[in-house]
Order: sequence, then C-alpha cells, then structure tokens
Amino acid sequence: MRFLARRLGFYLLTAWAAVTLNFLIPRLMPGDPVELLVARMKGNVEPAAIDAMRRAFGLSDASLWQQYLDYLGNLARGELGRSITFFPAEVSTVIAESLPWTVGLVGVATLISYLIGTSLGVLLAWKRGTWLDGVLPAATFMHAVPYFWVALALVFVFGVTLQWFPASRAYGLDVMPGLTGEFAGSVAYHAALPAVTIVVASMADRILGMRNVMVTTLGEDYVVMAEAKGLTSRRVMWAYAARNAILPNITSFALSLGFVVGGSVLTEIVFSYPGIGSMLLKGVENEDFPLMQGIFLVISLAVLVANFLADLAYVLLDPRTRQESE
Amino acid sequence: MKRIVAVLAALTVAGCSSSAPSGPGGTSAPPLVIHAVDAGTFQEDFNPYHLEGVNFGTSGMIHETLLYFNKLRPGEITPWLALDHAWSNNGKSVTFTLRQGVKWSDGQPFTADDVAFTFQMLKEHPQLNRNALEIEAARALAPDRVRVDFENTSYAKLFNIAGNSPIVPKHLWDKQADPVTFTNPKPVGTGPYKLSKFSAQLYEMEKNPSYWQPGKPEVPVLRFPAYTANAVQTALQQGEVDWAGAFVPDIQKIYVQGKPELNKFYFPPEGVVTLLPNLTNPVLAKPEVRHAISLAIDRDKIVRVAERGYTKVAHPTGVPMPGGEAYVPPEYRGAAFKVDVEKAKELLKGVDPAQLKFTLLVPSPFTDWVNAAQLIREDLAKVGITVETRGVAFQDWVSKVGKGNFELSIRATASGPTPYYQMRSMLFGGLAEPVGEAATGNYQRWKDVETDRLIDAYAATEDEAEQQRATQGLGRIMVEKAPALPLFYSPSWAQYRTGKYVGWPSEQDPYAMPSPYTSPDAAVVLLHLKPAQK
Repeated sequence: MRFLARRLGFYLLTAWAAVTLNFLIPRLMPGDPVELLVARMKGNVEPAAIDAMRRAFGLSDASLWQQYLDYLGNLARGELGRSITFFPAEVSTVIAESLPWTVGLVGVATLISYLIGTSLGVLLAWKRGTWLDGVLPAATFMHAVPYFWVALALVFVFGVTLQWFPASRAYGLDVMPGLTGEFAGSVAYHAALPAVTIVVASMADRILGMRNVMVTTLGEDYVVMAEAKGLTSRRVMWAYAARNAILPNITSFALSLGFVVGGSVLTEIVFSYPGIGSMLLKGVENEDFPLMQGIFLVISLAVLVANFLADLAYVLLDPRTRQESE
Repeated sequence: MKRIVAVLAALTVAGCSSSAPSGPGGTSAPPLVIHAVDAGTFQEDFNPYHLEGVNFGTSGMIHETLLYFNKLRPGEITPWLALDHAWSNNGKSVTFTLRQGVKWSDGQPFTADDVAFTFQMLKEHPQLNRNALEIEAARALAPDRVRVDFENTSYAKLFNIAGNSPIVPKHLWDKQADPVTFTNPKPVGTGPYKLSKFSAQLYEMEKNPSYWQPGKPEVPVLRFPAYTANAVQTALQQGEVDWAGAFVPDIQKIYVQGKPELNKFYFPPEGVVTLLPNLTNPVLAKPEVRHAISLAIDRDKIVRVAERGYTKVAHPTGVPMPGGEAYVPPEYRGAAFKVDVEKAKELLKGVDPAQLKFTLLVPSPFTDWVNAAQLIREDLAKVGITVETRGVAFQDWVSKVGKGNFELSIRATASGPTPYYQMRSMLFGGLAEPVGEAATGNYQRWKDVETDRLIDAYAATEDEAEQQRATQGLGRIMVEKAPALPLFYSPSWAQYRTGKYVGWPSEQDPYAMPSPYTSPDAAVVLLHLKPAQK
C-alpha cells in the first residue's frame, strides 16, 4: 500500500505543476485576447469599447500572483470561467460538448488500433520468415508518416475524389442529434474516415513494439519448455509468449488512453471534427486563456489518471512490483 | 447626412409585385444555403450584442436597426425601424420617429419603449456597449417617438447609434437578470426571419410571415451549416453553398468552374490596406522618405501577383472608390498612383543612404501580405532602401503594431459608413499612444494639428456638405503629407450562385455589402432576392 501512497503523492505534485504551467504558458503568449478580437472584427467594434469588453470577459489588470491565486481558488470551487471565443458559454460547457466527440472517435480508434496492432505484432513475431515479414517495411513507413498527412491523403482520395465518405463534420447536416438510428448511423459514417486515419497511423507503433518484445520473449526458456511439452502452438503463442510480452504495450496503451482526451488535434482539424482538438486550436488562435487553461487541465488530468491506472494494472499483472512495494 | 433615400415607395412597389403567390416564389421556393463565418460548431447564442459567439444573422435578419447605412454608397441612409431622426441640443440628443405597425415575431407591437430599453441597457451594461456610445439616457416620448441623450456631441456616431445597434424586445429582455450573459436562445425580433431550428452543426431560419415589408422576404428558408475554412472550399467546389463569404485561392478553378453567369463573385472594398511607416522613427518621420517609398512601390503588381487580382489599387487618398467620390478633394478625384523611381531617388538625395534600412513586419498567416511585403522589398531596393521583411505570428504582430514596436508594417483599416471613419481611425492624434502602449488606431502615430481640427470639424456638424469638406481635407493630407501609404483595398468576400435566386448586389447596383458576414447588410440583400426564372 505504501507503494500506492507514494505514487499518489507523486501524482498530486505533478498535478500541481501541470495546473501551474497551464496558468503560465498561455500568458507567455504575446498580445491580449481583446486586442486580437478587435483586430479580427475588422472595424465592427469601436476600439473605445475595449475596456468594456475586458470587463465582460473577466480579464483583469491584477498582478500575475493575484491572478494565480484567483485561478487556484476558482479551480478549487470547480469553476473554469467563461470562454472568450464562445462568450458567454462556460468553459466547462464547451469542454462537455466537445469531449464526447473526441473520446468517442479517438477512444474507439485507439482501442481498435491497439487490438489489431497487438495481434498483428504477435502473429508477425510468431511467423517470422514467412510472407508476413512484408508487413514490416509497410509498418515502418506508416510509423514515420505524420497523422495529418495520412488524413489529408484519405480526404483527397475518399472524400473529395471518390466521394465515398464525408470529408468533414461529425454527422450529416440533415440529421438532428438525438437517440435515433439515423443519427447513430450518420455519426458512424462520418467517423469512419477519421477513425481509419488514426488506426492506420497509430497501429504501426503497436505492431513494431509488440513484435520486438515478442521476438525476445520467444527466445526465453519457458517458451522452449512449453513447446517441448507438446502444447499447441496457439497456446504457446498466446498464453506463454504474448501474455508476457504484452506488459510494455499495456503501459503505452494506458498512456495513449490519456492522450485520447487530448485528441488528435491535427486529425480533428483536417476533418473539421467538433472535438476538443478543434476547440483547443480555436482557444490558442484567440488567446482564450480560460478555454486553453480548461482544456489543458482536462488533458493533463486525463494523462495523470491514465498513468495511475497503468501503475495499478502493473501491480495486478506483474508480481515483481508487488514484492517491491511490501 | 440628411440624404435619406426614399426607398419606401420602392419597397411598396416591390411588395405589390410579389404579393401574388402564383409566381415562382411560392412556398415551393428552395432554401438558401449560407456560409458566413468559419465555424466548426455553433453555440446556441443569439444575443446581438455578443461579439464572436453570436450566430450570424442575429442582427439584421432577426433583430433590426433603426436605419440602414449603405457602406458602398457613403451617405446613403435608408429608413428602417425609424422613419426619421432629428438632432437637438448641439448633437447631444437625437430623436427618432418610429415606423408604425411593426410587430415582434411573437405578435407584440414594436414601440418606442423597446428602443429606449435597448439603449438604456447599453448604458447600464458597458460590456454590451461595443459601439462605445456615451449614452446619458434614453426615453420614449410617445409610442412612436424616442429620444436618446448623449454625454457629448455625437453627430459622427449616427451610424453606431442607428445603424449598428439592433433593437431587442423589452417585454422579453427586461425579464433577464443579466443581459451580458443572456444567450437569447429563442430570439424574438422584428426582422424578416425567425429562428426555426438549431443544432451545433446547422441552424435554420424561416420567413417571418408578419414582416413589416409586405410580400417579403421571398426566400422562405435560410440554412446555415457549420463549415471550417477548409471545408467551405470543398463545399463551394461541390456546389453545396449558395452564398458564401470566403477567401478562395484559385477562384476560377475552385468556384467559377467555367460558369461565370451562374457562379458569381463580387469583392467590393470594405477598407484600405496601408503600408504604415512608424513616425516615431526619425528617418520615416521625414515626409520625403515616405513619398519616395510611395513612389517606388508598384501597386499594380502587388494587386496582380500577391492579391491575385481580387481587389484594386487604392486611391491615393485611401478613400474606397467607386462610391466615395464626394469625400475626395476635387483636384485629386482622378488621381492614381504611378511608379516613379527617378523622382523617388531625387527625393532621397538629402538622406544618408546608411539610414535607409527598415524592417517590414507582417503577420505570417496572411500569406497575401507576406507576398506583398516581398514585392515591396524588391521595389524599394531599386531606390536604395533596404528592407528586411519579417513574418511573425498574428498575435505577435497585433501586439507589436499596437504598441508601436515596428518600423514598417502593413495593416487594414475598415472603411465604415463614410470614409471619415477610416480617416479618423488612421490619423486621429488622440489615438496615437506613446510607443510601448497599445493603441487602437493611428498605429503609425501621426500627430498633426490640422488633421485633428478636420476630424473635430466633421464630428461637430450634421451638415453632410461640411462633413464631406472635412473628409476632403483629410484626403488632401493623405496625398500631400503621406502619413500612411495606401496600397490596395481590402476586399469584402462574396460568392453567390444565381441558380436559385437572383437580385444580388453587383458593381452596377451596389445596394448593400454583398458578403454574407456583414450585418445588417446581409438581411438587406435577402430582401432584394427573387427566385430565379426557370
């Protein structure tokens, strides 16, 4: 238990550091959200109204230290403030509206990519020397290609040229959101292309990672022993080799679950997907401090929680960590 | 300012001609798909006094203004919810006579109480007062008469008061505890449309059947889908959108597609893009240096190459033309920029060549300005001026130009309802903050007694001829003293298809700003549209 307590303490410290950085980093950007707004509104706002707008947006000239204390106080009360870009919407509302899209799309895609990638990795390691080795260069190539490039290529081919799939937004324009089959179908249809992008682009990592560990594991004595006992190769492959080789992949899975919340910013931008990545981009463009802070907070907390879960999973899966903690 | 156009008659005539529902404009007329501003999703916000979160169409289509100002014909003012206005008390009070028989879309009558309530609300909640009106009080004098009092002479703010302050219904808004955060999800207005459907990706407006202009509008349904800047390009290419205000990189290929009669565009000036010389720099403070820079720049080439020919070279006064003729000094009405390298060199003879080194600051996301800056660099090299162009992030550029931390930069100034607004924003000494403090205009820090006198003279009168004379004087200063160097007009983007509806504004008939993102002009355009004859 002391192990867990120590980890928890560590996470609290990290959370405080993250919260503080969330506060500081947006404020290091040059400029001021209201000046930017006036520049963007192209004369639709009297510059003389700038003070009034600052007040409306709750921006203060207070010292950085005072602002920091206010920020911590508001956080403790669970208040994230109002967004400037989407004024007067609360930051929590903006996040609540966009987060499900990201978690739905990126979460499902990550799960699929993990399942397929890990299985493929196991197979590739097991069937070394067969035609399956041809997958390796392809995987290395996909590993090197950036997400957004895959996304752009897919949009161009399947969205614009062939028009098989919609190239943007989360559901059809004629569909009203609700618990209907039509809406669910439309969401799935619109999610197909971005999901494929994420799966294709992130699967390579899993394949390579799993295969490499698996190859090492296959050389272990207990695998030879299992084979010598005459167990079926399926049993040896999954129960003896893969089960032991999967530990590092679990860590990376837990980490990527944390990053699911952060979303695939570029994928969301390419597909105009209304997730948290698109909101973050908007926030950064407009120097929307409250929105940026809120989104960064949710992302960093998600990563921390995911890490903590990975720690817990390790305690359950790997007896050695348990020994150490006693 | 009194040139109120008698469009009432025209409106009635148009009303009669379209009151017969047997024509092609019956209930079967197709919806019009509009893209006004880039958005991934919409927030349910229809408060016309919110700045960015508000959905487009809230002012103009739902909430109307008292008067309509046509920015493409400065001085052309059309009665709207108000029939007339009269100044008193040295321009500190204005009384509006309101149109009778106008109803809110929930059936309640529109009265002077609503107008007084709206201005009183702006006074009590400065956060909503985006026009910075110095309201002292607003009072209903009679059901159809309302007087608004100001702390200072406000002749020059008539546009802000009557043309840019949408009126909201008192009987619904006075129940709101805080109009600043009120999102008005079920808007009730006097305008030609009512909100009929809202989702985060699409909202729809339908015709207000009890609209005060009989027989109008003829477009029964408006659809506003959410498109991001990327997605709207595809949408234009595939013909999903009927009316858009987007920058399209290769408009002939992406949008027109060989059908110039069907896929039209019109990019009139909505402001001027100027090269700003920082006048606190001792070298740039010399008028001969500024004149030399101006003479060396090949603006035709900039428009052709950097701006893809989408706009036009600015008039030397910076006044948008055509349209602004009355505001240009008569002797310069036919003037145009001409490149003259020899004369520029001549002007620079007395200046130490070692001092002629400047950095030109541009926001790197504005790729057209970055290209223009490169061309300026090449042009100025020909007369011995070394320019280093520096692209910075948009935020950084806004901050540096605002604080005066630049040598040369490029910036657009909105034209406003008359060229005076543009001139004031560019030249008024009161806006020239010391270097290091963020200014809200006059970024080059021009300080000139004569300029400020002319600006004050305009603001102190309601006589249109006198106002024009003052603006002409400012135009003369622009040409002769070169406080800022006009390059080209910043275009207002408008793409419209004539397949479903006709009657759009054009260069021949510029009755309103054609871009769907200009309020309340877009509503005026919609009221002019008629179904296309099949």
